[in-house]
Amino acid sequence: MATQNNSDDRIALLQGTLDLLILKTLVLGPQHGQGIARSIQRQSEEVFFVDHGSLYLALQRLEERAWIGAEWGVSENNRKARFYSLTTAGREQLAQKTSEWQRLTRAMGLVLGSNSGLEEA
Amino acid sequence: MIFRRRRNTQDFDEEMRAHLALEADELKSEGLSDEEAQRRARVAFGNMQAAHERFYLKSRVEWLDNLARDLKHALRQLIRHPGFTLTATLTLALGIGANTAIFTVIQSVLLAPLPYTNPGRLALLETHWTDSGHTAPRMTGPDAVDVRAQARSPEAVSLFAGGNEGVGLRDHATYTEVTWVDENFARVFSLRPIAGRLFSNAESHRAALVSEEFARDNFGGAQAALGQTLRIESEAIQIVGVLGGGFDYPGKSEVWEAFPLKPDSTSRTAFNYRAVALLRADTSFRTAQAELDGLSQRLQKLYPADNRAKVIEAVPLAEALTGSARPTLLLLWATVGIILLIACVNVTHLQLVRAMERQREIAIAKALGASRWQVMRPVLIESLVLAALGGAAGVLLAVPAVRILVAMAPKELPRATEIQLNVWVLMFTVGISAFAALAASIFPALRAASVEAAEALKHDASRGMSRRGAARLRDSLVIAEVAATFVLAIGAGLLLRSMAALMARDMGYQTRQLLVVDADAPAHADADYLRVLRQFNGLFQELGTMPGVERAAGVMGLPTGDYGSNGYYTTRGGLPIDPAHQPWAIFTVASAGYFETMQIPMKSGRDFSAADTYWSPFVAIVSESLAKQSFGDANPVGKQIQCGLDSDKWMTVIGVVGDVRQDSPADKPGPTLYMPMAQHPYFANQIHIVLRTRVAPLSIVNAVRARIAHTNPLIAMRFTTMDAMVSDSITVERFRATLISLFAGAGLQLAMLGVYGTTAYSIAQRTVEIGIRMAFGADRGTILGAILRHAVRLACGGIAVGLALSLLLVHLVATMLVDVHPVDPLSMGAAAALLLLTALAASSAPAWKATHVNPIEALRAE
Repeated sequence: MATQNNSDDRIALLQGTLDLLILKTLVLGPQHGQGIARSIQRQSEEVFFVDHGSLYLALQRLEERAWIGAEWGVSENNRKARFYSLTTAGREQLAQKTSEWQRLTRAMGLVLGSNSGLEEA
Repeated sequence: MIFRRRRNTQDFDEEMRAHLALEADELKSEGLSDEEAQRRARVAFGNMQAAHERFYLKSRVEWLDNLARDLKHALRQLIRHPGFTLTATLTLALGIGANTAIFTVIQSVLLAPLPYTNPGRLALLETHWTDSGHTAPRMTGPDAVDVRAQARSPEAVSLFAGGNEGVGLRDHATYTEVTWVDENFARVFSLRPIAGRLFSNAESHRAALVSEEFARDNFGGAQAALGQTLRIESEAIQIVGVLGGGFDYPGKSEVWEAFPLKPDSTSRTAFNYRAVALLRADTSFRTAQAELDGLSQRLQKLYPADNRAKVIEAVPLAEALTGSARPTLLLLWATVGIILLIACVNVTHLQLVRAMERQREIAIAKALGASRWQVMRPVLIESLVLAALGGAAGVLLAVPAVRILVAMAPKELPRATEIQLNVWVLMFTVGISAFAALAASIFPALRAASVEAAEALKHDASRGMSRRGAARLRDSLVIAEVAATFVLAIGAGLLLRSMAALMARDMGYQTRQLLVVDADAPAHADADYLRVLRQFNGLFQELGTMPGVERAAGVMGLPTGDYGSNGYYTTRGGLPIDPAHQPWAIFTVASAGYFETMQIPMKSGRDFSAADTYWSPFVAIVSESLAKQSFGDANPVGKQIQCGLDSDKWMTVIGVVGDVRQDSPADKPGPTLYMPMAQHPYFANQIHIVLRTRVAPLSIVNAVRARIAHTNPLIAMRFTTMDAMVSDSITVERFRATLISLFAGAGLQLAMLGVYGTTAYSIAQRTVEIGIRMAFGADRGTILGAILRHAVRLACGGIAVGLALSLLLVHLVATMLVDVHPVDPLSMGAAAALLLLTALAASSAPAWKATHVNPIEALRAE
């Protein structure tokens, strides 16, 4: 399964969501951009496809907010790569966004699960 | 973090290459060929160049990009809500337009430098008395000459005097502003004639400069005017130069006649002149004043009687010129400032309502990771777009508004011809528009920022039960709005009552059915004055028998008129005189029959008669105030009085008449000394002829003009009515009262809109609640009552705050009030009642609608 396979049941990522996913991926340890993309794709059971261009913009953004740090290193197959890691602020951010997201999805679930209140949204 | 070095593009490039290599490795390991793996890796990355560009541009244009996106979004939103957009834009346009218009006047009149060379160095010399605190913008001849001779701070000092004069041309006479100026006048103002030359001291009373307009109107052009002769006060004056560039100082002068450096008057108590000075370039006003203080001290020692407590002051000319207009203009500015605030509050309302509707949108954005700033930004930007629209519309409104203002403005408004929109005004408008944008959106934006994502989504906004905070905020906005309107209404009430008091005032004479002719007859030699006097006396008889005319008389010193004199006087057999407060009176020279014509009541004694001639014993008539001031309860008839008008002959008091208000209805009735024209012929050639008519006064102008011209064709004439003159004398008050009332009306409408909007919105939000209550048996009256009570509570809150504010602010207008106490229960009561009614009216329509909610439908809307 190649990443560019753009089948219909895949969901383009919203800004913000991607940020959250990147932070989540980095909890497991430092990772380079390509690894992050792969990891997200795999963990979402290939539902999300990550546009690599957007990925680097998101990484750039997170780095600027000091939620992640970056360092050049060497990959397992001996290639030079830029490795990203979570900072303390990033960890806090992840915790906060995760809880917000869970509340959001719960609320969305409630709303969508019931039959009322749709016209107002 | 801000100081962290940004990554360079090489570093980014390298990362991209590493990514492609890693991806290719991975794909290869999945069994693809080397070539295919690399191709797929590139495709998966998307356009390499694009990513590169995005990275490269990000740092530079990201915010611009975002701004453009937000602007587009804001415009789309505004177009999608045309009602909101239109209301908000018009409201802001009103506030911004009114401010722009008033600021245009303030900028041109108060702030812009005078249109003369070295405007910052020009000073008007004034006389100040340290004992009474009084200041006169005038100088005596000798004092001014001493300043010129002894003070080092001014580079040049010029004395001048003048006023409205009849000017004789070859075949007719015209009225214009004539100023007598000495040789230094041209140095003070750095004047350069556009034709001809300046005059020298040797040409006093022989040469004159005229304005370009005067030259064009009377001679066809500047060159044609040179060498022409003017007759002013019976002297033949030759035009030697023409001044261009719209120069018209002082007043609206058109003719500047040469006048000697050494003034005619040698009295240190006759303030016959005004004086301007050009300070040296290296001298400040403070230094100049220090020097003048020293000089004044020396003069006080040298002339202890005449110069007692007298200090000569140098006031910046701009301040002296515009000082009188300052309070009125600042008052208007404060008023439109309040209007702008009310407009902002209204737009805040509208924004809040929009923000409520957007809560879910905002909540989702926040849940997806949008920062506080990111959710505030669209609100702020939408507000900026609105303010830009409002500002543009405001400028469009301001252009005609300024024109109307200038047309309405009292003729005393200085520098009225210079008033125009300019770049400073536009900068001001941009500034206040930005302020309005910020002021109107700060609350909605902060509320947007504080939206709790999950909370907002859980709530059903349509239920509206938990909106306590928002409701409180909206209520306080309404209270603020009502308070501001209340302050405006109080101001308008006080000024209108002052206006009414002025108009109702007894002037001491009957103003209706009175035609007034400004008549200026040339006279030079003694024989001329006596001939003119005879002609005028004949005219009064003749005009008095014209059809439609009851009687006619002449006067020098008509109330609210241009001419007049005043000064100290002494009596024989009167009350003892306090040397610190010498008796002072207005001097009026009148013909027989003047009091009857004006209907000034004769209290005792007799009027002037044909028997009072230049050769018979001198007589005078005094007003009641003068009688009381100098003779107490004794009968003044038969007493002796002397004044410095033109002779030191003692005059016998032959009668007492009622007091009049001399300058305007705002003036107090004061002491007046009347002398007969026959005994003061030098004051009898430049007079007002008054005609008491049975018909509309202006309907007989042509007949009167023909009669006068038939007697003496060289008499310059202007016609008006006494009513018009009195009315003109209070144009400043009228201007103020009219504008404030207009603004208060605008404020009231905005407040009404605010109350309506809030009530309607909160009722719409509470539809369900109301439906439930009605389902449980609440009757319509209860609900209607609850809603109206709420509106009344808000209005009362606003009135209370406004009352407190107006008590704090009222001293600012205290000096503008006539016969009204600043704390005026009537104005306050009226304003409060007006606002209460407005609040009730504004909330009753939505309240009525609420009581007709169908409970079933309201609940179904859930």
